[in-house]
Amino acid sequence: MIDPDERALMQETVRSAIAGALATDKDADIDVVLAQLGWREMLRDEPGDAIDIVFNALGTTNASATALDDVILSALGREPRAELAVMLPRFAAWDPPGEIDAEHLHARSLATARAATAGEMLVVCGRASEPWMVTLPMTALEVRKVRGIDPDAGFRAIRTQGNLAGATRLAPGAWQSAVVLARRALAQQIAGATRSILDLACTHTKERVQFGRPIARFQAVRHRLADALVAVEALEATLSVMREEPSPETAALAKAVAGRTARTVGAHCQQVLAGIGFTTGHPFHRYLKRTLTLEGLFGSSDEIVLDVGRQLLAKRHVPTLIQL
Amino acid sequence: MAIELAHYRAELHAWLDANHEKLAPPFLPPGTLDNHIAQMQRVKSILFEAGWMQFGWPERVGGRGGSPMLRTELGAALAERDITDAGLFSLIEVLVPTLIEFAAPELAAEVVPRLLSGTELWCQGFSEPDAGSDLASLRCHAVPDGDARTASTWVINGQKVWTSLAQYSDRCVLLTRTGPADSRHRGVTAFFVDMDTPGITVRPLEMMNGNLEFAEVFFDDVLVPADRMLGELNGGWSVAMSILPYERSSCFWQRIAYLYKRLQRLVELAPHDDRAAEVVGHAYLQLHAVRARSRATQHRLAETGALGPETSIDKLLVATAEQTTYDAVRRLLTGMVELDDSAAGEVWRSEYLYSRAATIYGGTAEVQRNIIARRLLGLGSDE
Repeated sequence: MIDPDERALMQETVRSAIAGALATDKDADIDVVLAQLGWREMLRDEPGDAIDIVFNALGTTNASATALDDVILSALGREPRAELAVMLPRFAAWDPPGEIDAEHLHARSLATARAATAGEMLVVCGRASEPWMVTLPMTALEVRKVRGIDPDAGFRAIRTQGNLAGATRLAPGAWQSAVVLARRALAQQIAGATRSILDLACTHTKERVQFGRPIARFQAVRHRLADALVAVEALEATLSVMREEPSPETAALAKAVAGRTARTVGAHCQQVLAGIGFTTGHPFHRYLKRTLTLEGLFGSSDEIVLDVGRQLLAKRHVPTLIQL
Repeated sequence: MAIELAHYRAELHAWLDANHEKLAPPFLPPGTLDNHIAQMQRVKSILFEAGWMQFGWPERVGGRGGSPMLRTELGAALAERDITDAGLFSLIEVLVPTLIEFAAPELAAEVVPRLLSGTELWCQGFSEPDAGSDLASLRCHAVPDGDARTASTWVINGQKVWTSLAQYSDRCVLLTRTGPADSRHRGVTAFFVDMDTPGITVRPLEMMNGNLEFAEVFFDDVLVPADRMLGELNGGWSVAMSILPYERSSCFWQRIAYLYKRLQRLVELAPHDDRAAEVVGHAYLQLHAVRARSRATQHRLAETGALGPETSIDKLLVATAEQTTYDAVRRLLTGMVELDDSAAGEVWRSEYLYSRAATIYGGTAEVQRNIIARRLLGLGSDE
């Protein structure tokens, strides 16, 4: 684990590289930028730090990339590469996307934009505790671009059914480690996005004048922004815990907190951004749409909270997870 | 540090296990406030005797040194085990650091061990009828008997309110007006006042849960020796602010430990259905976030020796988590808070009602948001 100063420095390097590329060309290929920054090498050497740094920067800049595929591949013990895409769990859920029915595989789920360019797709199937994986040529899959609320995210809807020839068994904990790392990545990305949303809103309220003064002087506005900051900082605290004590539990809670934070910050900031924030001329809408989408990947907040609550009730035990 | 703390925690819990019977409250719940105060003082004296109360306090006031987080661990362990009232116990954290920083060394060395050992109880006289959120407008005034520089005695007149445990207290950390009426925070001086001084009248106020935890305190020509001044003349504002670092770190961690314990009790009693799962899951999420935040705050305090306006975030998170936890109790234990007259019902009801004050005491949620907006978000003045 690298020290906080170094992490901050690297984060700024990644953020400015992405922001610079987007400033030159709003359709710049951010995967190329990340490759130039040595993302896959970082992911191999220091996976936790690499994920934290890169995904936070993706969130801050609201950039679209397919680095999530690399995170999942590396957690599953496969070499990440641009030619290999991964099928994501169904929206809001986190079970392996593929179902095994006798000798057949059925899968109907999502993938990142890598599905449009890669030659193959890795599909994890079966039960989460007894996962299998199979690598299929893209020709064996039905791929459709998802426009959805956030067309820039580049998601693809994927469908396939066929035999399981060539499927191999994964280690029992492999899928869970993929879920943990993916949640870590997504929680970081949402944290970066909510920081940016709050910055946009604060800037706007200091500049926008009504009744003869900046609206930042009105207590109703200030209190909404204060509540947004409280939410962002609480999320960042759960991310620190996840970094120091990575576990399925801390990752699940961080992802759930991230989703709730996105909603809180989105609602407060949209309200103070008011009319201008409702237009496509202001960047707010892109962040809002992206966080709504990210919230559904690897478990929505509501689904995670429900799952966590069921476990607390089933075990009749409330673990503290964190010590001083 | 983490290893030292883990080691200390293990030893502490082993000792608490071994002394479980001696430490357990000798009364059945819910118990009166008198019962709880007596229990707290009894527990402090046992812990002092065994040496646990002294960890984390400097040696010059009778402590055994070490990180303040050792104190936090002790308070949290007592809260988790329901040995003594967590809120009352953690008041130590808002009184002793003030004495250590601002009292004459001999005075601090004399009185701090009395508080830690349960021999004495102290209170904090800050708020007034017209000085609540706007503390700097306080009017209870202290006048020197002669010249302010050389006077041997000060005369105090005025009124305090919301003074927790005043009727049980032996001493009071009191804020007074010593500058002109409009001098705000520049004209405030703190004194350490003996509560048995003639001229002090305490009138307890009944809280909505039936307890008489706080009181009005009246001062009529109360004479206080000049050597009981805490800090500088007109330097009382920094005395008042000095309570924040430990109130917002150690006290909060203890409060959070107590809330985890309450959620634990709730999951033992709640129905097994998805509505309950959603409600307890939601409360757990908030407790996890505030515990994460509070840990970071304490490590920052240990590293830098100071905390600032960012603790307003901790304050809001703790208050929200507390209210969410008790909202969960009320929603899942149907009728318990509203109708149940059993001992368990009395306890849940009292705690539920108390939780409603979490966004009011120690600086209202609105004041915290004002601080966050101005000091952390840089939104400028709101005037």
